[in-house]
Amino acid sequence: MMRDAPDLAKYLAVHANGLTKQYGETLAVDRLDLDVPTGEFFGLLGPNGSGKTTTIHMLSTLVRPSSGQALVAGHDIGRNGVKVRGAIGVVFQDSALDRTLSVWENLRFAGMLAGLTGKVICERTDELLDLFGLGEQRHKSVGSLSGGMRRAVDVARGVIHRPQVLFLDEPTIGLDLPNRKKIWRFIERLRAQTGMTVLLTTHYLEEAADCNRVAFIKKGRIVKSGTPQSLIDGLGEHVIEIEGEKLDGIVNDLKANLGEPVLEEDRASFRFSGSPADLLNIQADLAPRVTGLKVRRPNLNDVFLWVSETEALSRRPGERGVRTAR
Amino acid sequence: MNYRPVLAVVQREVLKLFRQRSRLLSAMIRPLIWLLVIGAGFDAMLGRTGADSYKYFLVPGVIGMAMLFGAMLAALSTVYDKESGVMRMLVIAPFEHYWIVIAKVLGAAIAGIIQAVLLLVLLALFGYLGSDIHWGVLLLALLMTALACASLGILTAAWTPTLDNYAVIMNLVIFPVFFLSGSLYPVAQLPDVLRTIAMLNPYTYAVDLLKHANLSMTGPGFAPDFSIATDVAVLAAFIVLATVVACLRFSQESRYSALIHVLAKKGGG
Repeated sequence: MMRDAPDLAKYLAVHANGLTKQYGETLAVDRLDLDVPTGEFFGLLGPNGSGKTTTIHMLSTLVRPSSGQALVAGHDIGRNGVKVRGAIGVVFQDSALDRTLSVWENLRFAGMLAGLTGKVICERTDELLDLFGLGEQRHKSVGSLSGGMRRAVDVARGVIHRPQVLFLDEPTIGLDLPNRKKIWRFIERLRAQTGMTVLLTTHYLEEAADCNRVAFIKKGRIVKSGTPQSLIDGLGEHVIEIEGEKLDGIVNDLKANLGEPVLEEDRASFRFSGSPADLLNIQADLAPRVTGLKVRRPNLNDVFLWVSETEALSRRPGERGVRTAR
Repeated sequence: MNYRPVLAVVQREVLKLFRQRSRLLSAMIRPLIWLLVIGAGFDAMLGRTGADSYKYFLVPGVIGMAMLFGAMLAALSTVYDKESGVMRMLVIAPFEHYWIVIAKVLGAAIAGIIQAVLLLVLLALFGYLGSDIHWGVLLLALLMTALACASLGILTAAWTPTLDNYAVIMNLVIFPVFFLSGSLYPVAQLPDVLRTIAMLNPYTYAVDLLKHANLSMTGPGFAPDFSIATDVAVLAAFIVLATVVACLRFSQESRYSALIHVLAKKGGG
């Protein structure tokens, strides 16, 4: 257990130490260390089953950690669950709304559960529906709304009590691109208006590009963290993708200069940092030997792919997760 | 603990009760069938009339029935809340999780009382109610019966993973509780084995308390079996016990169901 540290909440919205969750044989989260500064937009990224949701469930006091501790908004998640829940908002992967009730009835229900007065609930509902452009849907039943609108109402539901820390667990899963973008605009507006700390999990990595900082989680451990740009820059200036049937020889040649590639069936991707002349030389050398050749700027997806490949190779069993840099 | 979360749960329960018109309608029709069809049928068969009429004996039983079905089904909606995800709104709210159980019991009890009161109005219109009703006892009986049925419902909900086995609950809980009580026959006249079972059934005491309210003009052959004090004591003990057990079970289960959520989840991270 940690001692509650309200002063710490001024600087750190989330402070987790060795957070672990074991389900029988499965280690869902493995000694996770995580610091999220107050006011930050933080992305916890990783593939399905990597431990993102379990981490959110532990931090929001819904699942008790097997070991380790965490403070959320300065309150210990093990000892002071009620205070933690009073300081956070959670938008789950699946909707938490009552489909048989109207938008207004759902928001009123959520507001009353948080202990808000009728007057405050009315004000906040007006404000949120206005912010999300959902004023006209106010008295419609949630079941009759489109998936995108329903998600927006679910986000409004999660923030009606103005939490200090908002957990968004895959908020755009199952939505089409226009609706995903809309949800992000809402969250952006919310952040601008309230300054709340947002901890996002997603496996759509491009959605995390606006995060102040991201951490990659794999098999319950944080394997790399930093600002999205620094991670992308750290990877290299270009990614060279080659396609062909017998790439083994070429891959071995290139490995010596360019480092470990990411291999997928008949495609190999290499990182490249160097002069344009060198890049042109490599391109000229490769062009006749492969069926496909592409040179492009790296993105967060590449960071994740390299993290998955190379961290797995270099990590010894039992080694601790990387504490995220502040 | 702020009272608003409890009010929120109660308000939602009442809202849903009036919104689901068919649920309300069937809650009225079911007891009326017993009274108008079965009551009249037995009277014709046994040749009873006036104060000895079986249909008058059935009045407290059908009022109890409205609450047994009404409050139990409302409490069982907790299972629906888990399935539909609404439970997430409750478990993430800033209060101890046992308040969810207490609020649900109160909401379900109020839903049960509303249905009993509506039925009482209908029965008055049909001329089934007498002029010498003991209003204080009736109020007490409605409250205790509704709370007992609601806590039985929440206890059942705590052990019910999905509403798919709704028929099982109906056949294994609601019907035995109803038939093995004094709703349809005086407990004293039951054969030994059935009487013993009826005396172990807390709902028996709820119906007995309703009989004390003297709703219709029944003869001395249909007098209550127990004293008001016994009824109230048994019901109070059951309400507290069932609610506490459900609270304990539920506080384990919220963590347990989160586990299921993580492991069985399609694509959960």
